Amino acid sequence: MGTQVKDVIVKPDAPSTLLLDKHADYIAAYGSKKDDYEYTLSEYLRMSGIYWGLTVMDLMGQLPRMNRQEIIDFIKACQHECGGVSASIGHDPHLLYTLSAVQILCLYDNVDALDVDKVVEYIKGLQQEDGSFAGDKWGEIDTRFSFCAVATLALLGKMDSINVDKAVEFVLSCMNFDGGFGCRPGSESHAGQIYCCSGFLSLTGQLHQVNSDLLGWWLCERQLPSGGLNGRPEKLPDVCYSWWVLASLKIIGRIHWIDKAKLRSFILACQDEETGGFADRPGDMVDPFHTLFGVAGLSLLGDEQIKPVNPVLCMPEDVLQRIDLQPDLLS
Amino acid sequence: MHGRVKVKSTAQQEEEKRKEREKKLKIYVAARDACFSKRKEGIWDEGALQITQQLLSSNPDFGTLWNYRREILMHLETVKDEDEVQKIYEAELSFLESCLKVNPKSYGSWHHRDWVSTRLPRPDWARELSLCDRCLSLDDRNFHCWDYRRMVVKMSGVPVDQELAFTDRLIGSNFSNYSSWHYRSTLLPLLHPESPELPSPPRSSLPPSPQTHSHRVCEEQLLKEYELVQNAFFTDPNDQSAWFYYRWLLGRAEREEMISCVFVSREEERVSVAFSRPVNAQSVGLLLVLDGLPQRVEWRSVHPRFKHSPVWICDLPPGTVSDITNEHNLTVHWMEKHTHRDCALYTGRTESWCRDSATDQELFRSELSVEKTSVLQSELQSCNQLQELEPLNKWCLLTIVLLMRALDPLGYEKETLAHFQTLKEVDSTRSAYYSDLCSKFMIENTILKMEYAEVRVFSISDKNLTTLCHLDQLLLVTHINLSSNQLQRLPPQFAALQCLEVLEADNNSIENLEGVYHLPKLEEVLLKNNKISSLADLQPLASCLKLKRLDLRGNPVTRVANVESELAELLPSVSDLLL
Repeated sequence: MGTQVKDVIVKPDAPSTLLLDKHADYIAAYGSKKDDYEYTLSEYLRMSGIYWGLTVMDLMGQLPRMNRQEIIDFIKACQHECGGVSASIGHDPHLLYTLSAVQILCLYDNVDALDVDKVVEYIKGLQQEDGSFAGDKWGEIDTRFSFCAVATLALLGKMDSINVDKAVEFVLSCMNFDGGFGCRPGSESHAGQIYCCSGFLSLTGQLHQVNSDLLGWWLCERQLPSGGLNGRPEKLPDVCYSWWVLASLKIIGRIHWIDKAKLRSFILACQDEETGGFADRPGDMVDPFHTLFGVAGLSLLGDEQIKPVNPVLCMPEDVLQRIDLQPDLLS
Repeated sequence: MHGRVKVKSTAQQEEEKRKEREKKLKIYVAARDACFSKRKEGIWDEGALQITQQLLSSNPDFGTLWNYRREILMHLETVKDEDEVQKIYEAELSFLESCLKVNPKSYGSWHHRDWVSTRLPRPDWARELSLCDRCLSLDDRNFHCWDYRRMVVKMSGVPVDQELAFTDRLIGSNFSNYSSWHYRSTLLPLLHPESPELPSPPRSSLPPSPQTHSHRVCEEQLLKEYELVQNAFFTDPNDQSAWFYYRWLLGRAEREEMISCVFVSREEERVSVAFSRPVNAQSVGLLLVLDGLPQRVEWRSVHPRFKHSPVWICDLPPGTVSDITNEHNLTVHWMEKHTHRDCALYTGRTESWCRDSATDQELFRSELSVEKTSVLQSELQSCNQLQELEPLNKWCLLTIVLLMRALDPLGYEKETLAHFQTLKEVDSTRSAYYSDLCSKFMIENTILKMEYAEVRVFSISDKNLTTLCHLDQLLLVTHINLSSNQLQRLPPQFAALQCLEVLEADNNSIENLEGVYHLPKLEEVLLKNNKISSLADLQPLASCLKLKRLDLRGNPVTRVANVESELAELLPSVSDLLL
């Protein structure tokens, strides 16, 4: 009797060293395949895709290889009359892509490429009476959007333009029996959502409201025998959770509760030695999303070949120092 | 891209695939451009519905297309009669069902279903609920579906007990179902509140959360739940779902919000106030009344790093309490919570305090609970039985530790330590977690012992401490001994020890003294054999103006050039320096 632990086996011949050059080549080449079918299919998230690619390049010290002017022009073209930014041209504005656009412009120290006042108005307009945020005018509510809203405003230095107390009240109403957070009140805890909510509480100076010992226990129980982390109990490990879980643990001051060496080996095993890039699990197809979160995870684990990454905003620390933003972390 | 296995293929296969993709790309781009241009022209017709349907069937995450469909549907609402609208929306629901079959985890599809369901002229909630049943029978962890279900339940007024019965069924068929246990945690407190005659005060318009709101369940139901969970973990002792739920069930009620301590010192003309939780005294409305007169004072947290802190300090206006022949009465009001605490400073006394001790507040019956001892005792027996069968089961061991703490933390100290040792061995991945938790429990026990002995000395040497916590409970401590542990730092929270005179922390691995900050009575700091490496690390000590004796022997900093003269400059009050 008894359920098998869901996990993967890391093969002995899996990569065990960090292949930074390959990853940089992979990302640099990714954006040049614009007429590729897969690339076109992911157009609906392009702005975030660019953020993932540029951030991982910056963390690896390779940002200059990307086409700055082209990207800035693209972002400008994606800002709409309402102030929000869309994933791509012809698509509708959304908080997800508004945050990505502002993050990219912070990397490039060029926030004024957007009409910042309008961005702020857009975000302000999406806050609901109960403090929550809709992702766009169609009204989907999710704590991810609460994070997007305050992260964007924090990067722009305009946090006071929304009702922060109400926003905090809503996020806290999504806290669960296990100390974690879900999408909406009553939703099950999920590591991605926990990252958004702990990041949100960091940016709003409310981390003392987290039950860190309880949440930290749930988070460190995400580590599986393979060393990888899953996002919920009884799920498979995935490189992106080395970010969501690890960053959450860092924010609440409990990163030492996982076995860093084992996680590092798991992340390294998810590299593709031929193409560069990271996959969700060893042997799967790579993509920029997992490449960023693999590299960012290694940075949080203290890898000195990579720039230090900020656990709240998933951006290089030097960028945040430049704009003088230091989100709270528990000690 | 999740879970896509990389497959090796030949050059010929590659070429074929490339051609295939090229063809698909052309069709896709043509359809997309057609959609965009139709929308630009303001065309809201059936044709547009068709073409977006074609694209969304293969790519349901293309959010803008759902938006376009909504525009079309809203337009059709204005030009069609109710029956036609009903039909159009029903067709939309079947289309969505086919999308969800292909991709049951698409945010876009679920949100659109949400949107359609609430606009349908004559919604059929029973059908929606049965869709959720079917979807959850395929994947009982699909959180999108669970969330949709909660919306349906809310909209159609499905009774809470019916939903609880639904989780009974799911758990009955598979105990390892975290989503169902989670759902129970939200339902039980609604169905069986602890004290129905005393509804929890309305704190906001938001639904109660099992964490932030009073979430206790009445005892009768609690006993039934214990039984259910025990069935689960006896069936599969390695399934974490039931154990997480059990730890929550055993949890204690929310702490009462109050001022737990007020301390006043004549010499420093200072008042320190401890709260039951971290607050921002500048915003919660704190009022200090001295001998009937409200005082204008400035509150500061014990360390500038904290905007929220459990301990706050203020300086009284000079001369107000310094004359030892005068008696004074202080009251601190926490306006926001309509609570206060009085403290009398009698003639001839240099200091005074008024507080509820940790013992009074039953703070450390762990996070565990106020349940009857007999109940907890029988729970402990069950777990002990399971542990005999499964001696190395970490979930069981940890639960036993928690139950022991709830029952008799001091009496079970020895067993607790032994269990922690086993836990670190059987679950070495998480040994740092167990070390920190064990440290916390040992600190709690030491506080209890100190309170029983009615002393202000806190001594916890040689206990493998890896972290410090509950420092706000040590506000009155004058002498602390942390020697021979594994501490790496004295964190900012340490600055809560406002009465501290002697700090002993020899033989640790301390490299950071951030929390030894503005401790007005601190005279002696013993830090032999630690890891303090630079003068900058000692900087915080400069804020402790009474410091006389400092022992730094066996620290790397002693090898810094000119250390003695540098220290004399940094810490001029120190007369007895050991290097």
